[in-house]
Amino acid sequence: MTDIAARRRSWVDWFFFDWHPAEALGAVRFYFGIGLAIYLNIQFNQNLTLDPFGAHFHFTRPIWYFWALGIDTNVPWLPFLVMPLLMAACLFFAFGKWTKPAIIVIILCIFYMKGVRDSFSGDVHHREVPIFAILILFFFSKCDRMFGIDARKKGWAPIEDWESSWPLRAMQIYIAMFYFWALVAKVRLSGLAWFHGGGRIQDVLISRAVRDGFTPTGEVVNLSLGWELAQNPHAIFWIGVLVFLFELFFPLILFVRDWRIKLAMLAGASVFHFSNYLLMNVQFYFYPFVFVTFFNMAEFHRWLKGKVRLRRAAPAEA
Amino acid sequence: MSKTSVKRFLALYFLILFGAIFLRVDYFPLSWVPMYGYREIGPQLTVKFGDKSGRKRGFFAQRANGETLYISAEDLNVPNANFRRLYHQRAYNNAPPQDDRERVALMSFNRWWYETFVGPDPRLNKNYSGQLLDSVNQTFGYGPSDPRRIARLEASLDFATYDREHLDIGDLSRPKIERRTAIITETGSFLKRGDRVAPMSTGMASKAGEVE
Repeated sequence: MTDIAARRRSWVDWFFFDWHPAEALGAVRFYFGIGLAIYLNIQFNQNLTLDPFGAHFHFTRPIWYFWALGIDTNVPWLPFLVMPLLMAACLFFAFGKWTKPAIIVIILCIFYMKGVRDSFSGDVHHREVPIFAILILFFFSKCDRMFGIDARKKGWAPIEDWESSWPLRAMQIYIAMFYFWALVAKVRLSGLAWFHGGGRIQDVLISRAVRDGFTPTGEVVNLSLGWELAQNPHAIFWIGVLVFLFELFFPLILFVRDWRIKLAMLAGASVFHFSNYLLMNVQFYFYPFVFVTFFNMAEFHRWLKGKVRLRRAAPAEA
Repeated sequence: MSKTSVKRFLALYFLILFGAIFLRVDYFPLSWVPMYGYREIGPQLTVKFGDKSGRKRGFFAQRANGETLYISAEDLNVPNANFRRLYHQRAYNNAPPQDDRERVALMSFNRWWYETFVGPDPRLNKNYSGQLLDSVNQTFGYGPSDPRRIARLEASLDFATYDREHLDIGDLSRPKIERRTAIITETGSFLKRGDRVAPMSTGMASKAGEVE
């Protein structure tokens, strides 16, 4: 083997295999699974606002796989069965019981619930795209081998560090690059026109704020914060610059080991998502739960348990 | 899996997921992440002023037998957010965002594979309003010769147009407001602006200054 090949191999090993301890993967699966149940509930609960015995709406534009399967009508009672199944699968996944079958059930349920939600009017949302990519990695990893019911009951041997590290690193790459690709897409589609004046941000702030109309006193019905901000194009311009810098440089987090720096960067990303929700009603506000993949959640779990024990012990001593 | 197998798996995984970004594939579960990325600047910005109570009442409709009625989100049994899109966008023959941006500024290779494997540009022959009328009738189970079938749907909204120079100084107090009514019939879709009624555009139109 040449020196170059050896160096390349060691770099890949360093990047993917030498980053997290064995205990991290199972703990991330646990916290991710809990967050996933909440996230998917937020994403799909609108399918549960319908009358289960009401009209069977004929979709205006079925999503591509519904179209391929010939599914062109909503069966309104079906989401009331699929949603509990999805929630149960998330919990099985989180607690490490029948983990791999649970992942398959989650993916199938996401396809169905997303298909229904997006086929009514044909708007295909992107909020499940990173979730799918992450679940695929969990499926092909040994995420069920530690920190779960099956692992404890069946007495499985612990996995090695590198077996825990690579799926988490791959998830981090996908999550970090998702922001970067969003910036690339802006440039590919609109160039710098995206930022001109108040930019695309001002356009969306206005259209979102007025889409439910005005009160009798002339205030917007919803998103009044966004409406106020839309009247300050200079502030919006600098927010646009911040978005640009955030999306451009966020992948640097892949090379950060210090958990405090990572936490600061991810807090910034969380502010980005919360702001999008408060100002424009973009329903990505619970998405930051995926950031658990950046940390050794086993350490966090021990810290949390210690805190809970201390709180329980304190009244007893008093 | 051995380390070598893992490397092969990761190479395939990222080849597929990041390959979709190069090819601009936006079909779930693949995406090149283009949300909110498309903007065409015009000298003006036109937005739709919603009317929650009007939307709650729903589309004004007329059956083939002449009877008139309103068709609401509850009647169609669709979520409110989707009904808003049907009322504000599809009724006016406006595409979902992914159709508007799918073929914008494509590289020739991407254009070739889209046109070869997916089909023509969805902006070339838009019939979103016609699809809406078909959906309504099929939802209620009305066939093409049923006298109860919905033969006409109408959606009315105030369209507000802001001059770019006002937007640039944050002045949102002086929009030009125009009432527009989308009229969808079995023979075609029309847009009423003031007293003028004209067929809706079905071809590729600039999105400059429009935002949904």
